[in-house]
Amino acid sequence: MKKHSWKAAPALRKIGPLIIAMAALEVVFGIRVPGFSQMDNQIDLLQQISVNAIIAFGMTFTIMTGGIDLSVGAVLALVGTATVSILAAGSPSTAPSVKLLLALGGGMGIAALFGLFNGIPAAKTRMPTFVITLSTMMVARGMAYRFNSAQPIPIPDNATTFLALGNSRLLGFIPVPVLVMLGVFAFATILLHRTRFGQHIYAIGGNREAAKFTGINVVRTQVWVYLLCAVMAGIAGMIHTSQLYSAEPGSGQGFELNAIAAAVVGGTSFTGGIGTMYGTLIGAVIIGILDKGLNQAGVHFSLQYIVKGLVVLTAVYMDVRRNKS
Amino acid sequence: MNQNSQPGQALLELEGITKRFGGVTALNDVSFDLRTGEIHALLGENGAGKSTLIKILAGIYFPDAGSIRMDGRQAIINCVADADALGIRVIHQELSLAPNLSVAENIYLGREPVRMGLIDRGRIFREAAMLVEQLGLEEISDVGRQVSELSVAHRQLVEIARALSCRARILILDEPTSSLSELETEALFATLNRLRSQGVGIVYISHRLEEVIRIADRITVLRDGCSVGTQDTSAVNQKELVKWIVGRDIFDYFHRPPHNPGDIALEIRNLRSKHIHGVSLCIRYGEVLGLAGLVGAGRSELARAIFGIDTFDSGEILVEGSPVSITGPRDALDAGIVLIPEDRRKEGLVMIESVAFNLSLPWTREWNPTFLPNSRKRYAMVTRAVESFSIKTSDVWQSMEGLSGGNQQKTLVGRWMEHRPKVLILDEPTRGVDVGAREEMFIIISRLVQAGMAVLLISSDLAEVLNMSHRVAIYSDGLIMDTADADSLTPEKVMEKLTGASVNEEA
Repeated sequence: MKKHSWKAAPALRKIGPLIIAMAALEVVFGIRVPGFSQMDNQIDLLQQISVNAIIAFGMTFTIMTGGIDLSVGAVLALVGTATVSILAAGSPSTAPSVKLLLALGGGMGIAALFGLFNGIPAAKTRMPTFVITLSTMMVARGMAYRFNSAQPIPIPDNATTFLALGNSRLLGFIPVPVLVMLGVFAFATILLHRTRFGQHIYAIGGNREAAKFTGINVVRTQVWVYLLCAVMAGIAGMIHTSQLYSAEPGSGQGFELNAIAAAVVGGTSFTGGIGTMYGTLIGAVIIGILDKGLNQAGVHFSLQYIVKGLVVLTAVYMDVRRNKS
Repeated sequence: MNQNSQPGQALLELEGITKRFGGVTALNDVSFDLRTGEIHALLGENGAGKSTLIKILAGIYFPDAGSIRMDGRQAIINCVADADALGIRVIHQELSLAPNLSVAENIYLGREPVRMGLIDRGRIFREAAMLVEQLGLEEISDVGRQVSELSVAHRQLVEIARALSCRARILILDEPTSSLSELETEALFATLNRLRSQGVGIVYISHRLEEVIRIADRITVLRDGCSVGTQDTSAVNQKELVKWIVGRDIFDYFHRPPHNPGDIALEIRNLRSKHIHGVSLCIRYGEVLGLAGLVGAGRSELARAIFGIDTFDSGEILVEGSPVSITGPRDALDAGIVLIPEDRRKEGLVMIESVAFNLSLPWTREWNPTFLPNSRKRYAMVTRAVESFSIKTSDVWQSMEGLSGGNQQKTLVGRWMEHRPKVLILDEPTRGVDVGAREEMFIIISRLVQAGMAVLLISSDLAEVLNMSHRVAIYSDGLIMDTADADSLTPEKVMEKLTGASVNEEA
């Protein structure tokens, strides 16, 4: 009997080409755009991708199970408006820390509710997740517009901690959103790659029926996946709102598509069961480099869309070809 | 049976066909010929080169060497359209019909007659009805029915009608009976005999040797990419055929373990659901209970209910004499019941994942109790399973797709053995595996039973049920008609009871 070596899982091997692509883009823009590779600019880049990356981590879970969550952009806006409404409401005498806790709790609670709203039908019925989350997307968007007659709600000046979430820097150097992004990334990575839950996601995405026959609680796992995705969209919503200094009920349009793009560029497969968290992070960075680099190179925004679209298509094509061979 | 075996004219001749993939020679100097009005069986273990040969005929692969002649003239099959033009059609295992269209529309799919830019529906239905009548396929004479309402057997007839409607002269049937009941198989054979007498040449591929001996005029065997030879069916018996295919003698093919029944492991009392109408049975440790029945009799439904996949309305399941509540697979597994499902690709394995992933999936809790997976423990589990079930894989990280059917099946069984289950339910454990792997599976079952496991064996293959089981329950329409010692039964007796019962049911 031949001895079997215990090599790294093949999922990890796929990361190579992505890192090369990221480095290549970095070099190209570094040469063509003056100041692109400077530390400040690179930190700005990380700050700019953080909202998309956090959403994309959650999105990766749903795509991994063979589903999708289109409601994240609308949930992000709803969480923002709800959170700021709570911050702005009430008597001025209430302690700011109490208000902040209520606001964060309320915002995340709404996100969690939408997670269940997506996850329970996704797990228990045969409705396609595309349709479920398309519907909840409209519901969430509508609810966001219910606040303050659909007008933006400014964040009160005394909500300093909430404003710091999107705008301050640790030691005046690392932006808080980047820290949050790295924290969520670490959490999501451990969850997907080091826990039973993650193993079950691979099994469900790879073959839902077989997962059921293996004794995996498919329903519970799937509900958790949508819950996680919505909560991560909620975290992104708070950062985004804080960065805007006001809650915009119309914000977050198309964020779901950017998140999907990051996940698929990072190698997450729509058939389910294939993907990694590192891949998604690099996918988000690649899209961020393209956005920022093209912008700083003075390329018209219309062209930026075209380039981005073609890059996503190429990335997915290469991925499909690699998976086939 | 072979009343039409007078030699027809040469229809198709392959000579010296060689096909290599990279360094692997899939076919080496293979010759094969087919006459008009002949059923020619192509046999061999998985990987022997049968599918490569078919794909060459269907225009999917192009041979590296060799010649193809059709009606004595050189033919070049470069693509699927070329094969179509020559009248070569493959009826695949996985049927390729549009389920939401009618029989008639499926027959004309892709070449619908058009009138003034619109599909001429009237003509489709008229011509389809005529064609079906001509071919004598009365089972599908209602050409307006949706394909999704038809049984697998009848869908297959639609495929055959479709092939013949474009003047197919050669039909290649790949495992046509793998999901048919005995009665449906009979009906298919009647159809094939009729087509043969109409001059169609049929290449017939099957693992079921009894069938091949009954239906084929000649037999060609491939082994390791080479043709072992071609013989008239009348000149061989089944035993010789097995030897021919495997390349060695298989003496005691079935390996039934000695019967040493212990205590009762599993008892089912009056189980009822939509498809099960009051089933009671018991299996002792060290015993194989075979469940014989026709496809569609609800045997898999019984297995699914015991395993907690489907719910049941009433009845009791007892393990070692104490009742267990089973509301899902988890409960069944906790009670020590394991089901090896019927369709290993759909219900059993995560095909895109590795052998190691699949082998260690049921035991995630043990090698990954927290967020710190214990790779050493996992590796030990995987190695134990690979070695004890001799799963042939180049690397435990190889994807399941790269394994043969037999090794996939061994993986599926082997992954449950980390903690010995009490009751093992095997639903069609040898479907789609070749002769050698089939014997290996029997040896595994025998070993597990001798070690004291209780086995419920479900199979459409009567020979398998009768020769591997100690007792046999005859199951029809959600009911156990009779239970008897396997030695007191013959296939004829079982069929009598099964078909007799279904006649009574209808009355």
